[in-house]
Amino acid sequence: MLTTITNPQRRRINFRLPLCAEEVKVSAMAKLIFLWLKCLVSCCIVEAVFEDQVGKFDWRQQYVGKIRFSHFDSHVQSSKKVLMATEKNVFAALNTRTGELFWRHVDKTGPEGNIDAFLLHGQDALLVVGNGRLLRSWDISVGGLNWEVVLDSGSFQSACLIGQQDTVKHVAVLKKTVISVHYLSNGHQKWIENLPESENIDYQALYSGGNGEVYVLGIVPHSHIAIVVYSMEDGEIIKQTSVEAPWLSNIQTSCAVVGQGMITCVDSLTMSLYTLDMHTQSKMTQIPLQSLGLEVTPHFHPVLVSHQPNAAHQPLSEFLLQLGPEHHLLLQLNSGQMVVLRDFKPVRIFFLIKRKCVLFLLQGWIMASYIIKVPLLNPVFQIYVQAFLKKDDSVSYRVLVQTEDHTLTFIHLPGRVMWTREEALSEVVTMEMVELPLTGTQAELEGEFGKKADGLLSMVLKRLSSQLILLQAWVSHLWKLFYDARKPRSQVKNEISIENLSRDEFNLQKMMVMVTASGKLFGIDSKTGSILWKQYLNNVPSNAAFKLMVQRTTAHFPHPPQCTLLIKDKDTGLATLHVFNPIFGKKSHITPPALTQPILQSLMLPLMDQDYAKVLLLIDDQYKVTAFPSSKNVLQQLQETDLTTTQIWEVIIPTEIQKVVTVKGKRSNEHVHSQGRVMGDRSVLYKYLNPNLLAVVTESTDVHQERSFIGILLIDGVTGRIIHEAVQRKAKGPVHVVHSENWVVYEYWSTKSRRNEFSVIELYEGMELYNSTVFSSLDRPHAPHVLQQSYIFPSAISAMEATLTEKGITSRHLLIGLPSGGILSLPKMFLDPRRPEIVSEQSREENLIPYAPELLIRTEWFINYNQSVSRVRGIHTAPSGLESTCLVVAYGLDIYQTRVYPSKQFDVLKDDYDYMLISSVLFALFFATMISKRLAEVKLLNRAWR
Amino acid sequence: MMHISSILLFIMYFAALVAVSWCFTDMETGPGAALFSPPNGGDRFKIEGRAIVPGLKTQDWVSSARVLVEGEEYVGFLRTDGSFTVNDVPSGSYVVEIVSPTFRFEPVRVDITSKGKMRARLVNYIKTSEVIRQPYPLQIRASGPHSYFMKRETWGWTDFLMNPMVMMMVLPLLIIVLLPKVVNTNDPEMRKEMEQSMNMLSPNPELPDVSELMTKLFSGSKGSSKTSSSSSSSKGPRPAVKRR
Repeated sequence: MLTTITNPQRRRINFRLPLCAEEVKVSAMAKLIFLWLKCLVSCCIVEAVFEDQVGKFDWRQQYVGKIRFSHFDSHVQSSKKVLMATEKNVFAALNTRTGELFWRHVDKTGPEGNIDAFLLHGQDALLVVGNGRLLRSWDISVGGLNWEVVLDSGSFQSACLIGQQDTVKHVAVLKKTVISVHYLSNGHQKWIENLPESENIDYQALYSGGNGEVYVLGIVPHSHIAIVVYSMEDGEIIKQTSVEAPWLSNIQTSCAVVGQGMITCVDSLTMSLYTLDMHTQSKMTQIPLQSLGLEVTPHFHPVLVSHQPNAAHQPLSEFLLQLGPEHHLLLQLNSGQMVVLRDFKPVRIFFLIKRKCVLFLLQGWIMASYIIKVPLLNPVFQIYVQAFLKKDDSVSYRVLVQTEDHTLTFIHLPGRVMWTREEALSEVVTMEMVELPLTGTQAELEGEFGKKADGLLSMVLKRLSSQLILLQAWVSHLWKLFYDARKPRSQVKNEISIENLSRDEFNLQKMMVMVTASGKLFGIDSKTGSILWKQYLNNVPSNAAFKLMVQRTTAHFPHPPQCTLLIKDKDTGLATLHVFNPIFGKKSHITPPALTQPILQSLMLPLMDQDYAKVLLLIDDQYKVTAFPSSKNVLQQLQETDLTTTQIWEVIIPTEIQKVVTVKGKRSNEHVHSQGRVMGDRSVLYKYLNPNLLAVVTESTDVHQERSFIGILLIDGVTGRIIHEAVQRKAKGPVHVVHSENWVVYEYWSTKSRRNEFSVIELYEGMELYNSTVFSSLDRPHAPHVLQQSYIFPSAISAMEATLTEKGITSRHLLIGLPSGGILSLPKMFLDPRRPEIVSEQSREENLIPYAPELLIRTEWFINYNQSVSRVRGIHTAPSGLESTCLVVAYGLDIYQTRVYPSKQFDVLKDDYDYMLISSVLFALFFATMISKRLAEVKLLNRAWR
Repeated sequence: MMHISSILLFIMYFAALVAVSWCFTDMETGPGAALFSPPNGGDRFKIEGRAIVPGLKTQDWVSSARVLVEGEEYVGFLRTDGSFTVNDVPSGSYVVEIVSPTFRFEPVRVDITSKGKMRARLVNYIKTSEVIRQPYPLQIRASGPHSYFMKRETWGWTDFLMNPMVMMMVLPLLIIVLLPKVVNTNDPEMRKEMEQSMNMLSPNPELPDVSELMTKLFSGSKGSSKTSSSSSSSKGPRPAVKRR
């Protein structure tokens, strides 16, 4: 079957959005409807959090991302702050005692919010942002902005603080062609100068020794170094020299300023150190490494590290030279004399702090100095050291270690871990919620129902024994409660470990399996948010795409649950499979098939093999199919021995006009309870519930605001039949789509009216069902009725998902992540294309809300109240054992977990259920009857006496 | 000569006027027409303003607040005195919002012409071209804390008693209990009168069917003649009470 869409603009759809001419009339009506709506909303369909529920079943974890720059706040001796600028464009202050956030500022994503440099001076933190576009100064005690200035365009090279006579009042920013100096107090520009011969010379570094002069170091590769000295007062060039250095190609990687303005460089080809006094000399002095008795490890680029504790003073004359991956030297440069102070042979990293040397040995993956031994699970990536004075005036150190798996560990020397943070969780890519396994007793009880009957007597006995087990468990539970009640509250900890994990009564506690972009997997308990297991996959490419699938749930005891993670390199298309147990995080012993060809597509079949594992099919670029597991049983079920693919249908979407952005099917675990909707006149409007329906969203390639459009196609996945097609003109993405039951909701940006708009499409079979027993895409002669309506949404959105419950009886809500950090729970009944413009008797009977063009955002609908979630990337919903309850996890920079009750808690007693009232009423009634009985008796007796 | 130069001056003046008015008229024609300028080519401007939370020190809330321009397209931060600047914004029309987890701020639409003229107005998503001017530089005052929570339904005696169901139950009970006390049932005359009225109420004394009586009482027009008579007669004993 071949269908070509040639002109997407041809089909017209009526939208209910107000046209310009009718706007006034409509808005007046809208106001009326608004009032009515407010009444309706406030009295019946409000679903919100109660204040006493805060933190009861929800939690939030805030992250900052992988650290790029970090400084300890040393301004105040007792300060507990560590400041970090991260690769997620976040600037944050953390508490060094607990690892929690003091404050956090989240900038724009992408290169415009990228933090290029971070300098700390006293209370002020200076950040260069967006490739040298902005210079910001933050007050680190409050977390507010001091000032922000826009710098001239030009790519950023370097920034440094400039000191003069023991005070630091200025900051210099070096760009490709200009240097500018700003006041620290208000950010005003003191002077800006063009760099001489900037088209030839590559200016790379800045240096200030605290004497009122600014040194700019530039280089013409393999020729010479250019040194320009500016006066800090007026920006005049004091001196300009060029020094021959034909061996040098990059200043930043091979040079450092040491001591009193001595440029020291190292070159691996000539095996020499070069020094130059910037004040006096005009030629570099060569010191061969052999003369010092040193040797460079082959194929290793030597590194120089110097330290300048204060911008107002000169750097230390001691510096570090790394000659091999495990070979460091501490050298001293005194009046041109190079002295080797110490040679550290088996050492990986070490640092200079205030003329003292702290040493960290890294042997294997154990970090240790001569005193400490802290096991770190992964190789160390970066270390930040804070020196502080102890009470007895001795110096001690705290170390912030970032390992390659983005874990932050804060260690108090010697060897006490203060806290750890899993910053990999700041970039969760995909997740699943897996049910916890049953405990032994629960499994026993379940087993009773599963087996075939083997005689009446044994059944009775089994029943009795299981009841006994239950009784025993209950008694022990009571005993534990009693025992805990005697202890002070602080000591009672319901610690959850992998050993005592078990399913709770209503299956509300689940295991959240989270996959992060760095390739680290986490298993998180959904009730408490504690990380139960983590696993770092080392061989994950940096641009990998992930797909997580649950192949076997916990329901098939004794087979362990099984998850499969498909890791695909986006460039090459080559993929690997990681098979693991989602409860314990352990890698499965099952060997997945080796995938030698690039993978195009993967899909899970509802078929199971003899071990109850669902079959995963992988289609490679040769259109060959690999099945996993590929046992004989599976192949038998697929009725094929050699799996190949055949093209059945094709829909050509002309790529020169539009491109496919998203393809959304329905969720496989979704249940629809009611087949139709009861209308006002008691007839039934049947829903078009096609499980094979795909929603394809396209965006125009033309981005001009007059001609851009959004297209949506509803295609039957089996036959390729286009069920419906809609085009939204003068609209552009990003488009967020939710496809469920018989409806598709999508959101886009209307370029004409400059607002976000929601559109909903609902499909109905009509007043009668064609074949009510089974749905077949091949046998549906009647096209469904399509209803569509659009609404204005007063905010941009960052993610959207629909709630999901066990049986689909509960009404649906849309969960919308907003840029402000709120997660809005919008009832689906507001997005209903049958909302009438004029209220009639029938529509009132049906409980339809009259059409209003604007959807409301009410803060009462924020399921996360003030616990904002930054940069929501996805919202995951999972059903729980209770029909009324849906589990929600929103992830982005933060992770937030909660439960929602779209139709309120109709199947359990509410948590504010007044037991006192009902029992007191019962008792009162009981006593009232007793008393009245007595009174009646007395009365009867009296009457009898009369 | 003087004459010509003054005309020239006048023409220039007029041209300037037109240019100035042009900046705004093209915005009045509605959104999207001439405001759009390519984002990478044109000049960049800055949106300035100040956020105020009455009765609160700025350092208590600025660290958790942000300025969002058109979703998260442009982001600004609040200074320690509550003022803010969003830099690097090309000309266009934007909704500027201050987001804070604790305080509610009304969003403002800011229009920037290609020449950098700024104007702030109320956000109206339905009538997008409507202009209700707001001060610029922006002065955004918090309209109070966010209300995230619903109030729990508290249980009170008055709520319970004012419940119509309870009222319906309690009032007849009172009448049943209190009426016999008020009316002296031992008085034979009264008893006779009461019996009479009861007979009037139930037309068939052999089968005193309460449910039938109720349906008759409540089913409007059909049995209106009977019910009206019975109801009028049922009022009988009450004046009798008063007479006593």
